[in-house]
Amino acid sequence: MGAALWTIVDKEIRAIGKEKTIVLAIVIQLVIASLSSVILIGLMSFYDPSTIGQNSNIHLNIGIVGDSSSDLIKELRAAHMRTTFYTSPDSAQGDFAAGKLDAVIYVPPDSNGVTDMKLFLPQSDTKTTVILMVLKEPLKKYENYLRSLNGVGVKYTDLAGSSSTTYEFLYSFIVPMLMLFPAFIAGSIVIDTLSEEFENKTIETLLSAPVTLNDMIGGKLTAASFIAIVQCILWPALLLFNHIYIQNLILVLIMAGLISIFVSAGSALIALYFKDRERSQFVYSIVIITVASLSYLIEPSPIGLITRLATGAPDVGVMNVALYVIPVAIMLALIFLNTKRLAAMKA
Amino acid sequence: MKNVLIIALREAKRFKSRFRGGSRVLILTILAISLLISYFVAQSGLTLSKGVYTIGASPYGPTIDDSRFNVIIMDNMTGYGQLGDGSIDAYVDVNTVISRSDQRSKYAVGALKQYLEKSELSRITEEYDIDRAYPLRVETHYLNVSPAGAIPVGGSLSDLIGPTVEPVTSTPQPSQQASVNPTPTSIVAPAPTKTSDGTDAAVREQVDQAMNGTQPRFKAQFVSENETIIPSLMNPPMPLSQIILAFLYIVPIFFISVFFTSSFMDEKTNRRLNILMSAPVSALDIIAGKMLPYFSFALVVIVTVTLVLNGNLPLSLAIFIPVVLFIFAIYLMVALFYRTYKDQTFFSMAAITFITGYLVFPALFADVNSLSYISPLTLAVQMYRGESFSILEYVFSTLPMYFVFLIGMYVGVRIFNEEYLMGYGPLYRKSGDAIYLSINRRHVYMSVFLLSVFLIPIVFMVELIILALATNIQQMFVMIVVLLFFCAMVEEIAKSSGIVMLLENGDVSSYRKVLVLSFISALGFWLGEKALLALSLSIMPGSALLNAMSGTADTTASPIILLVLLLLPLAAHFVFTSTVCVSTKKLGARWYFAAVMAGTLIHTLYNVYSMHSMGAF
Repeated sequence: MGAALWTIVDKEIRAIGKEKTIVLAIVIQLVIASLSSVILIGLMSFYDPSTIGQNSNIHLNIGIVGDSSSDLIKELRAAHMRTTFYTSPDSAQGDFAAGKLDAVIYVPPDSNGVTDMKLFLPQSDTKTTVILMVLKEPLKKYENYLRSLNGVGVKYTDLAGSSSTTYEFLYSFIVPMLMLFPAFIAGSIVIDTLSEEFENKTIETLLSAPVTLNDMIGGKLTAASFIAIVQCILWPALLLFNHIYIQNLILVLIMAGLISIFVSAGSALIALYFKDRERSQFVYSIVIITVASLSYLIEPSPIGLITRLATGAPDVGVMNVALYVIPVAIMLALIFLNTKRLAAMKA
Repeated sequence: MKNVLIIALREAKRFKSRFRGGSRVLILTILAISLLISYFVAQSGLTLSKGVYTIGASPYGPTIDDSRFNVIIMDNMTGYGQLGDGSIDAYVDVNTVISRSDQRSKYAVGALKQYLEKSELSRITEEYDIDRAYPLRVETHYLNVSPAGAIPVGGSLSDLIGPTVEPVTSTPQPSQQASVNPTPTSIVAPAPTKTSDGTDAAVREQVDQAMNGTQPRFKAQFVSENETIIPSLMNPPMPLSQIILAFLYIVPIFFISVFFTSSFMDEKTNRRLNILMSAPVSALDIIAGKMLPYFSFALVVIVTVTLVLNGNLPLSLAIFIPVVLFIFAIYLMVALFYRTYKDQTFFSMAAITFITGYLVFPALFADVNSLSYISPLTLAVQMYRGESFSILEYVFSTLPMYFVFLIGMYVGVRIFNEEYLMGYGPLYRKSGDAIYLSINRRHVYMSVFLLSVFLIPIVFMVELIILALATNIQQMFVMIVVLLFFCAMVEEIAKSSGIVMLLENGDVSSYRKVLVLSFISALGFWLGEKALLALSLSIMPGSALLNAMSGTADTTASPIILLVLLLLPLAAHFVFTSTVCVSTKKLGARWYFAAVMAGTLIHTLYNVYSMHSMGAF
């Protein structure tokens, strides 16, 4: 191991650079990240009422029929809705049909007991969904008011926090995905280059040169992990540009690097045994899904650790990352002590 | 047909030979273990955000049982102290939650709010009777808004798709509505009642769903006709669980299609494909024959998954067969396009991303917007919700799948020759050659026209991806200009690629012919574009999108102006395309990129100008 290894590293990186398909891989990651945030925004606007109620500039015009002094009207106004009181349902109907109102609510007088309210909405699926979402918060507040009239006390109703959906999604999906996808690609690259050598029978020529099998595999692993780590460094820079900050950046990157090395070494094991791309890639995809879901049983899981480090959680630190050096070391020992045996096996 | 079967049999044998002896046992074991583990992990409830927040909780406060929170029980003095020095993100006291003013603490409180709201509901459900715990019931009714409403139908869209209903004067016509519309059209104020037995059943049902975490009863809409809403239990049915069911179909199909592409690669490497190609069989025979075994595997998967899930078999087959064909067509392209092993890996990843995005993204909005029918998974979601869909919606979502399959097969057959498959050129070269080979040189005009039409769906999808990428740019104006620029570029490449390939191969020599072809290409693109618009409008009448698009409508436009507005884009497309093609002819194919840039620049300026005149910015 020495000069030969670095020659191989250099050769592999050049090959990947020449093919330019790595650009495609980076674009894929960008697309996944962007698409999932677009999906999240879309989902939130339809399914998470609190965000759309607070952040959007939707100003609804609500017609009220019935009790003009109801507390609901106060709540609706507090949520920036325009309310108009109608003494007769007919005039409300007229304005509703003319499109001056988005919805009409019939409010019975406040009472202890059950209040049966009626809500009249237009027949348009998307618009109705939005109106209902915006109405939800004021209705809930009014419901709590009615509960208090009934002598039912509800606690924790006035918590002020920010909606955590985007925050959780960003740090527990997008950031780990951007940190793990390069590792996944690294594994695939190792399988491709290794099985290519086996299938094209170039491995014999390579080994007749003063290169050992360990040199070759070490070189391929180093090259693949190097490319993965470069990508991992790229993403935080891009996120920074979008005002998303990753805490404990160095630890997050070390963790991502450890995962890439682990995955590349594992994929080298698979490729050495099967020696063809078709089966290796298949087994690799299945094993990686399994290992990823298994890793959730560990506390903190590798993915969970990245999330917590990136959010700056107070309960994780260097020690948690250091522990993950052990499985990586075991994996590397496993492969470098057994390369010859694995390569000789017939599968 | 016989040839197809022979090749299919040969392919099945090749596939089998891959998995024999020790490796078969090993692979099957790995597969079984992974299925088992996935099952257990799924059962134990996988939360992505496990332990994101560290919070302190008062021993007298509520128990917090949510894996997002790492809970430490402490009295409130310790709690305040730890909150101050940042060891915890929030402190839950008996009646309130205490936080710091930083973002992290605020998000923790937001998450706690979500959780505590639910736990409070279950507390009051247990402690009080249902009339006291849920005193507010909102009965919803849907009323028809007359076309004279605040959102007039027509306008610039009617400019494009022809004259529509003239807006009538805004007089409500309740009597007429009553006769056409079964929903109540007059608002009747009912006498208030103290207790309501009528709505209690609905409340019980919704409380049950909310507390036991069972899936809500799925409805045809967010709320159906005259449903009773309880504000604190109001949650739209998110189709996540059905999407996961749909994944049970899609994931195995992905694996099968990977084997399908590997088969081409394997035979390319060991040169068996050359032998096959020199045999007296057609390219279609080879492709269909190689596809057949994997298609049968996919069918087995669909049938098995449906039977396991206890679904409707004929309906599942009707929904997923087009999906399988669509996926296979895309993977066929992967198999024929790649040059090296790594290529194939990255192309497959791109294909997976694209297919999953196209299928899953719209299905997440099932029942919210009719445009979600663009993906057949929406149909699957509805099927597993026990809802029905119309034949029109079925055709709308599956027709593009068959369409892509047919195009894929056509292109596959045209490019299926030794020189192309074994060639190692840069990607743009390979794509260009594929386009050139797809053009029927005996019917050049027709080919260029059809090429423009058929490229529209691809252009449309690429533009969607550009849109998703552009959302990363924070500044609105910059984002729009970047978006317009890259979309114009994609369109210009699509319209000119066929003509340029003909130019390069010397099939077209006169400027006159280049201009005629540019016009035909522009015409095809323009027709396809308008047809797509008309189709998407017909499937979602009265939706918000249509309203938004016709927002700045000038409904008093005369027919001549309408005609001009309709034909102007055609003229514009012609100008852009001929700019690209004529300058390519003049400068040579090596300067194609510069020519595209010139066309794109004019196109972008035109778009920015027309958006400006429409008042977009």
